Amino acid sequence: MNQLTRRGFLGLAGTAGAAGLTACAGTGSPGTGGGGSGSSNTIEFWSNHPGNSKTVEQQIITAFQKENPDLTVKLVDAGKNYEEVAQKFNAALAGGQQPDVIVVSDVTWFNFALNKQLTPLDELLASAGVDTGDYVDALYNDYTFDDGHFALPYSRSTPLFYYNKDLWQKAGLEDRGPKDWDEFKEWSEALKGAVGSDRFALELADGSNYLDWYFQNMAWGYGGAYSQEWTPTFSDPGTVKAGRFLQDLAKSGVVKFNATPEADFSAGLAACILQSTGSLGGISKDATFEVGTAFLPGTDNCPTGGAGVAVPASISDERKANAVKFAEFLTNAQNTVTFTQATGYMPVRKSAVELPEEVSYLEENPNAKTAIDQLPHTRSQDNARVLLPGGGARIGKALDQVAQGQDVAAVFAALDAESQQVFDNQIKSKL
Amino acid sequence: MSARAHGAEAISHRSPLKTVAGYTGMVLVLLVIAVPLFWIVITSLKERQDIYVRPAQWFPQPATTANYSDVTTRIPFLDYMRNSIVITGVLSMSKIVLGVLSAYALSLLRFPGRGIVFLVVIAALMVPNQITVISNYALVAQLGWRNTFQGIIIPLAGVAFGTFLMRNQFLNLPTEIIEAARLDGAGPLKLLWRVVLPMSWPTLVAFSLITVVNEWNEYLWPFLMSDDERTAPLPVGLTLLQNNDGVTNWGPVMAGTVLAMLPVLVLFLVLQRQMIKGLTAGAVKS
Repeated sequence: MNQLTRRGFLGLAGTAGAAGLTACAGTGSPGTGGGGSGSSNTIEFWSNHPGNSKTVEQQIITAFQKENPDLTVKLVDAGKNYEEVAQKFNAALAGGQQPDVIVVSDVTWFNFALNKQLTPLDELLASAGVDTGDYVDALYNDYTFDDGHFALPYSRSTPLFYYNKDLWQKAGLEDRGPKDWDEFKEWSEALKGAVGSDRFALELADGSNYLDWYFQNMAWGYGGAYSQEWTPTFSDPGTVKAGRFLQDLAKSGVVKFNATPEADFSAGLAACILQSTGSLGGISKDATFEVGTAFLPGTDNCPTGGAGVAVPASISDERKANAVKFAEFLTNAQNTVTFTQATGYMPVRKSAVELPEEVSYLEENPNAKTAIDQLPHTRSQDNARVLLPGGGARIGKALDQVAQGQDVAAVFAALDAESQQVFDNQIKSKL
Repeated sequence: MSARAHGAEAISHRSPLKTVAGYTGMVLVLLVIAVPLFWIVITSLKERQDIYVRPAQWFPQPATTANYSDVTTRIPFLDYMRNSIVITGVLSMSKIVLGVLSAYALSLLRFPGRGIVFLVVIAALMVPNQITVISNYALVAQLGWRNTFQGIIIPLAGVAFGTFLMRNQFLNLPTEIIEAARLDGAGPLKLLWRVVLPMSWPTLVAFSLITVVNEWNEYLWPFLMSDDERTAPLPVGLTLLQNNDGVTNWGPVMAGTVLAMLPVLVLFLVLQRQMIKGLTAGAVKS
C-alpha cells in the first residue's frame, strides 16, 4: 500500500482547508473596464419575461436580427420577477460583465438611476432619430429624473376593476363599475347578499402583494396622496380618510385581503377585485362566468405600473447605441402590439392602437379595450411609493396594519416619519 | 437482549388510552407532512379550471397528464434536469471527498496549527453565503466563468459543515481500535479507508444525503451565475413556468415540482436502507 508521508498529509489537510474557504472568497477589483468588456456586436438582454413572454421576446429578437444582420441579441433569463432582475444586475455592477438592455420595474429603476448606474436615454434616442413623442406620455414620463429619461416603457400595466357579471345581475346592479368608492359602499350590501356567506363582495391583494399599488387609487379618490414630490403626505386628511374607508370595508366584512385575489375571483368566491391588466388573459381563461372590466372608481386617479427597459451607464458608447437601437425596436408600434396581445399588457405607443391588427383585436376583446381607454385617465405614482427605497414594502406593511384595525392616523403618522427619514438619509444628498 | 425483552413487555402492558393517543399523534404528524405533498401530486393531475374551486377537489375529476407534457414542451425541462444532475453530482462528490479528508486530517492526524485550521474552517461555517455572493460574483465574472458549470460549482464546493460533522464523528470513534490498527501497520490512507470510514458509515450517509438535497435545491447562486438552459438547474428553470405578472397556471408548476422531486426521493429510499444497515452494524460491534 502506498504510504503517504506526514508532509504529504500536511499538504492534503491544507488543500482541504483552503477548499473549505472558497465559500468566502474576497472581491475582485471591480471597475477596471469590467463593464466595457463584452463584444460590441452582441446585445445581452436581461429579462424576466413579464407575463410568460419568453417566446414572444424571442420572436421579436429574430425579427430584429433579420433587420440588423450584423447584430446578435442574447436573451438571458434574469429572474422570476422584477426584484430578481434587479438583484442580478446589482451583482453584475460589482464588477461582472454587464448586460446591454435590462428590464426595470416602476420601483427598481430609480435607485439605479440615482446612483448613475443607468444611462439617460434622451441624447441616444435623439441621435438614433427616435420620435419619443409617439410613446404614451404618462408611461414615458414615469422614468423622468433630473431632466432625463432613464427607460423606455415596455411591459406596462395599470390596475383594472374586474367584476362578475352574473353576480352583478343577481344583485340588481347596472352593468358597469362604480363611479367612485362611495358608490361602491352603497352597492356593497346588495353584493354581499348576491355573493353569499363565506364569500366576499371585494377582494384585494394584501400588503405583500402590492396593496400599496391599488390603494393609491383610493387615496387619490379621497383627495389624499402618498407624497407631494418628496414630502410624504400620509397624514393628509384625504389619505387618512381613505385609510379609514379601507378599514371600514374590512370591519364590515365587505373586503378580504388575500395573496391571490385573482384566483378567488375566477373561482367565483369574490364579486369583484382590483387587479393588474396583466391578469386579464389568465382570468378570462379560468373564469366560468362572464367577466366584466371597468375603470377604477373615481376620475383620473388610476396609477400606472409595470416595467420598462433601460441601458447600463458603464458600457461603451458603441454598445449603448446598439442597445438603444434594440430597446426602440422592442417597443415600436408593431412589436408593442405583438407583445401586448400575447401578454395582456398595454401598448406603449400612441400609433399602436391605429394598426389594423390592433383595431380588430380590440373589437373582439372589449375587456382589453377598457384598459386602453383608461390609459388617458392614469396618473404617475407618488414618489413615496416608487422612488423611495423600500417604499412599496413599507406602505404595504402599514396598510396591513390598517386592515387589521390599528389606528389609521397613528399608523400613517409613523409612515410619514419613516419615509421622511429614508429620504433624508438616502436620497436628499444625491439629488 | 434483556433490555429489549423488557421493552416489549412494557409495550404490551401499555394502557389502550395511551396507545390511541400515540397513534393519533403519529397520524397527525403524518398528515402534516403528507397532505401538502398529496396536494402537489393531485394538482399536477388536474385541469386548469379545477385547481381553484370550492369545495376543494380531493381527487382530480377528470385526471389529466396534460400538465406533464406541458412542462416538457413549454420549458427545456430535460436540459434543466441534466444541469441539475451534473451540478449536484460533481458538487456532492467534491464536498464529500473534501469533507472526509479534511475532517480526517483535523481529527486523527497530529500536525502543528491543527486547532487554528479547524477554527478557521468553523469560522467559514458562520458566514452565510448570501453575504459573500456579491464578491464571489465579481471574482467569478472576471474569470469569465459566468454561465459555465465551473462558475457555478467551484465557489459552492466549500465544506465547512462537512468538515465539522465528520470531525466530530471521527473523534467519537474508540481510540483503542485506531491504535490497534496503527500497531498493525496500517498507513494513514489504509486507516481511513478500512477502519475509520466503515465505522462512520451512518454519519457519512446522512451527510451525503443532506449535501445532495441541499445542492439539488440550491437557488441563489446558480440563478445569479446562469443565463439560460445551458447551465441553469431545475429550481431556476421551473420559475419560468410561473407567470411573474398575472395569473399563474399552477398545474404545470406542480407537475414540474413532482418531476424535480423524484430523483432525490429515489436516492433517499436507496440510501435510507444503507443508513439502517450502518446503524445495526455499529450496534453489534459495541
